[in-house]
Amino acid sequence: MARSRRRRLPRGGNDFQWCFSQVKGAVDEDVAEADIISTVEFNYSGDLLATGDKGGRVVIFQREQENKSRPHSRGEYNVYSTFQSHEPEFDYLKSLEIEEKINKIRWLPQQNAAHFLLSTNDKTIKLWKISERDKRAEGYNLKDEDGRLRDPFRITALRVPILKPMDLMVEASPRRIFANAHTYHINSISVNSDHETYLSADDLRINLWHLEITDRSFNIVDIKPANMEELTEVITAAEFHPHQCNVFVYSSSKGTIRLCDMRSSALCDRHSKFFEEPEDPSSRSFFSEIISSISDVKFSHSGRYMMTRDYLSVKVWDLNMENRPVETHQVHEYLRSKLCSLYENDCIFDKFECCWNGSDSAIMTGSYNNFFRMFDRNTRRDVTLEASRENSKPRASLKPRKVCTGGKRKKDEISVDSLDFNKKILHTAWHPMENIIAVAATNNLYIFQDKIN
Amino acid sequence: MTRSKPKYKGDAESSSDEVRERSVAELKEEGIMVGGLKRKHSDLEEEEEKDGKWDWSPAGLRNYQQALLRISLDKVQQRSLGPRAPSLLRHVLIHNTLQQLQASIHMSTAPALPPEPLFLGEEDFSLSATIGSILRELETSMDETESPQNQVAPTGLQNEVLPQPDPVFLEALSSRYLGDSGLDDFFLDIDTSAVEKEPALAPLDPPHSLFCAPGSWEWNELDHIMEIILGS
Repeated sequence: MARSRRRRLPRGGNDFQWCFSQVKGAVDEDVAEADIISTVEFNYSGDLLATGDKGGRVVIFQREQENKSRPHSRGEYNVYSTFQSHEPEFDYLKSLEIEEKINKIRWLPQQNAAHFLLSTNDKTIKLWKISERDKRAEGYNLKDEDGRLRDPFRITALRVPILKPMDLMVEASPRRIFANAHTYHINSISVNSDHETYLSADDLRINLWHLEITDRSFNIVDIKPANMEELTEVITAAEFHPHQCNVFVYSSSKGTIRLCDMRSSALCDRHSKFFEEPEDPSSRSFFSEIISSISDVKFSHSGRYMMTRDYLSVKVWDLNMENRPVETHQVHEYLRSKLCSLYENDCIFDKFECCWNGSDSAIMTGSYNNFFRMFDRNTRRDVTLEASRENSKPRASLKPRKVCTGGKRKKDEISVDSLDFNKKILHTAWHPMENIIAVAATNNLYIFQDKIN
Repeated sequence: MTRSKPKYKGDAESSSDEVRERSVAELKEEGIMVGGLKRKHSDLEEEEEKDGKWDWSPAGLRNYQQALLRISLDKVQQRSLGPRAPSLLRHVLIHNTLQQLQASIHMSTAPALPPEPLFLGEEDFSLSATIGSILRELETSMDETESPQNQVAPTGLQNEVLPQPDPVFLEALSSRYLGDSGLDDFFLDIDTSAVEKEPALAPLDPPHSLFCAPGSWEWNELDHIMEIILGS
């Protein structure tokens, strides 16, 4: 029976039927700290999916081409390349260790056969080139096939080496190392739409780099007070506008976002726009400031909106409206009455990320107990899903989860006090064009796909 | 001054390390959010949940403030342990929360005891010593005071002018963050060019645009540190 292939268009969040596709990582109960995933990022085409971990390693998965002979493999992601990006270092001046944990990975748009990505730890950004090699040369004159040098006097004739196919080898090599420009911990990197420059942000400063130049960077934001005693606010995230190469935003620990235009001055200490929602006085507590701290900021693909994640909610802002967000989505409001405990066990400092789907119609962010949340901006519906091994049968649909906030707990609901706060989903990513999501749960990477109708 | 009350259930004088480990171990074991403070905190949480807002009795609020102070003190002490650089974000958030606590405690106890500034000429830049003593003083001032006459209205917090940040606290924090290792650093800003024998290299042209030259920030910080040492 002939069936026309319908082009899959991204749809609203709750029309999806998310199904388990794959899970990567060890099953052990005892998780090695080095294996904890610290960043997840699809490349521009979605064919490559990169993860970074606390041990400084980068693992890149590649999507298999859909294959008629194996229809069920339906674009599975398999390991493409693994390499050690960063090593632990020691700062002798301050007697402090510099962690090798990969804080962020950002892909560069593809310009030739090779792939490039930026990976960063707290102090150093590296540009990696990932390239394939599927041919090798045979018939060298000066050395044998096994590499031993030949005695030059024995060579009586010259031959031209020939190229022969070999098993595909994927090589990763560091092409640039951007070091020594950040006193404080790098929290963000963002590639500019000009594809030539990128920014890196730490707690107090943002620097602009040219991808070709490693020994210099331009400082474009500096919020360090002359007197460190007066420090009350730090930079938490920064991103370039997806289309306007002179515009970027940065968020702060006080819940504000500043939009800057690099054309206005070299040092963007004065913002062009200032986004802040006035505080609701009825919900003020000792923790108001901590929970207002923004952990992630992401522009929509269209460039018209941006999204911020604070401890309890996700907010969507229209770039033309500075005084309040256009949408606020509660991620886990039931935690508001638990803030004291969450402060005590440090969970209140957890930094959750958020992401848009390809058409900007849905947004996703993580929570505790390996739950993650999706919000459909059109239908205003939301759903809670869980990344767990129990729900990991091939192509099994994910069942929506519900947290019981009080009163009688219904069957299949989980009470707030039973949530596992060690199982946190901080990093999620959405394929740029299709309905495929990658969810990092501690040391495991879950991939879910929308069921094809 | 020593704390008279046991900090946690079944534990007279636990070190901050033990307390923290127990909380984490319990968390891991049970997989739920139960810290070592369960006895105190379940009470606090129940109170919090009941009202959902800030409408407490003075005693309830004081207990809550005391618990928060102790937790914050632990966090500040924790930070100075371990080989990795502390998170500035976390430091700033805890510090700002402590300021709010100080403000509300000063409002609820009368009179406020100004903490004695420690003489920083002594080599001990240890965070725990300075913060600990200041906060212990605040705690004992809270313990000794009768329940306050006025109903504390925390919603008034945002309307009150916050008292000046405690200078010793902040100086200790900033100097600790900068990672001062001792008095050797203080001599770095003294001009020793007359003494040095190394041949002077041709100076580089000053950057025309804003370069982020590594090491330049340190010179500002050292001036600042000298001011603290000599001026306080």
